Amino acid sequence: MSLKKDVQDPAAARQDLAEVLAAKANTLDENRPKAIAKRAKTGHQTIRQNIERLIDKGSFQEYGQLAEPAFKSLEGPADGLVMGTGTVSGCRVGFMGYDYTVHAGTQSIINHAKADRFLHLVESLRLPLVLWAAGGGWRPYENHINSRDYEETFAMMARLSGLVPTVGVVSGRCFAGNANLAGLCDTLIATPKAALGMGGPPLVEAALGLTLTPEELGPAEMHEACGAIDVLVADEQEAINCVRLYLDYFRGAGSQLGSDPDISLLRSLVPENPRRAYDVRKVIEGVADQGSILELRPKFARSVVTALVKVNGTPMGVLANQPMFLAGAIDSPASDKLARFIQLCDAHDIPMLYLCDTPGLMVGPEVEATALVRHSSRILNAAINATTPFMTVILRKAYGLGQYMMGALPLRPALLVGWPTAEFGAMGFEGAVKITHKNELELITEKKVRQVRERELADELRAHNTALGLAGSYELDAVIDPADTRELVIRFLVSLPPLAPRTGRKRTIDNW
Amino acid sequence: MSLEIRSVVSETIYQIEVTTGDRVKSGDDLVILESMKMEIPIVAEADSTIVAVRCNEGDSVIEEQVLLIVEPD
Repeated sequence: MSLKKDVQDPAAARQDLAEVLAAKANTLDENRPKAIAKRAKTGHQTIRQNIERLIDKGSFQEYGQLAEPAFKSLEGPADGLVMGTGTVSGCRVGFMGYDYTVHAGTQSIINHAKADRFLHLVESLRLPLVLWAAGGGWRPYENHINSRDYEETFAMMARLSGLVPTVGVVSGRCFAGNANLAGLCDTLIATPKAALGMGGPPLVEAALGLTLTPEELGPAEMHEACGAIDVLVADEQEAINCVRLYLDYFRGAGSQLGSDPDISLLRSLVPENPRRAYDVRKVIEGVADQGSILELRPKFARSVVTALVKVNGTPMGVLANQPMFLAGAIDSPASDKLARFIQLCDAHDIPMLYLCDTPGLMVGPEVEATALVRHSSRILNAAINATTPFMTVILRKAYGLGQYMMGALPLRPALLVGWPTAEFGAMGFEGAVKITHKNELELITEKKVRQVRERELADELRAHNTALGLAGSYELDAVIDPADTRELVIRFLVSLPPLAPRTGRKRTIDNW
Repeated sequence: MSLEIRSVVSETIYQIEVTTGDRVKSGDDLVILESMKMEIPIVAEADSTIVAVRCNEGDSVIEEQVLLIVEPD
């Protein structure tokens, strides 16, 4: 038998395969130079470039790459939504990203069908979800096409709450339906180029007669201050790094132990002068592994700090009062910030560390008008109904209901300890003596003399409510050397039972 | 390059710890603000020289208001 000379290489692509390969190639950046140049002009990566940087090489299995717009005269690779499964640093994820080069990332009949299918898959496989949110909401060109109008996308996104970690990235314009998906993420990372809002400029103009650019309407800095986004980073590359860091907190304890922080400052961090504030972030830095701290909502509700950290390689959530702002008092935004963070940690079994230094809840008619009565209640509701273990360190002030909400004994901390500077009271000592010694103090007519007496009485009271005093009546499990704090946290983590494998959702996470 | 040191909260200047020309070390207190009966220190982030003081003790300042100009080493 002789072989014909002109026979095709059996491994070469036949006509049928060649057509498929060509169709796929048309969706890739290298064959879309115009669209890609336009994206580069605004200083953005394309969605496929971002995927390449985030998802481990060779691990991305795309779904719906060859989908096209339902309105056939429109061009639209993958119909503007690139999605698939893959791994990030070895951790499995689902990735869904709107492609701004395809009709401004708008949501369409076909890409909703894609998203619906994919979010069902994410739910059934319980994949952590990364959402690259961009786009102008519904695609108006498809208004005249009859469809079932049965998009499940938003509902499915909401169903993931608490089931799997969801993290969104906004690095450009993102409005309406696209913004809604962003808002449904547990955590939202944004860059300074983000412009985010529920109603875009055309709607604002129609309804209010205001002409605004997307960036004027929903700038990143505003969202950072009002708490809508959790982390603001410099650019898309940093956003990718941040997603990678974030996902790592949800994988349980890794095999790698973290590097020890500098603990030498801990002993002197709380100033001797009880009126002097200090930055509680320094305490967190002295407890967490080096480089492991991701603070969420740092510019919002600044009287509390919420941060994901690792201690000896084990993920933890830290909730701390920040004496630098409002003296560490808890107001309505701070209540919301704490309550949502507790839910985030509890939903994903991340043990928590409370660092308490608060004069209590914020007082005054202004804060009462913010429904503090209700907002502050959220903290207790979230905390006592959480089943994930936590420990509490009283750094200095532990006053009133504020301290109760910061992981006090009735919330059943696994470990409750105080630094030597810890002081306790139902209210501030200065305020307390003005009530208890009202008659005596009123008899002192000279203001200066009265103030001296007030201070004397307050100091007397303080002496009865120190860490040592409270340890004596067994209201603290231990009083510790501040330099040992990290060591104690490690012992707490070691004392925890192994986690039972999860098969479903434990709780949902409030989006605010 | 000189740097502006700004207020972190809207409150009162309680104490100014430096004058123009002073050398400060990283971590030194520069200005103490007072808010909610707490003294809030603004500290030097690096070894620096104080180029100008733009506030007075007792002043009410707003958030992000420039308090000092410093020149890091």
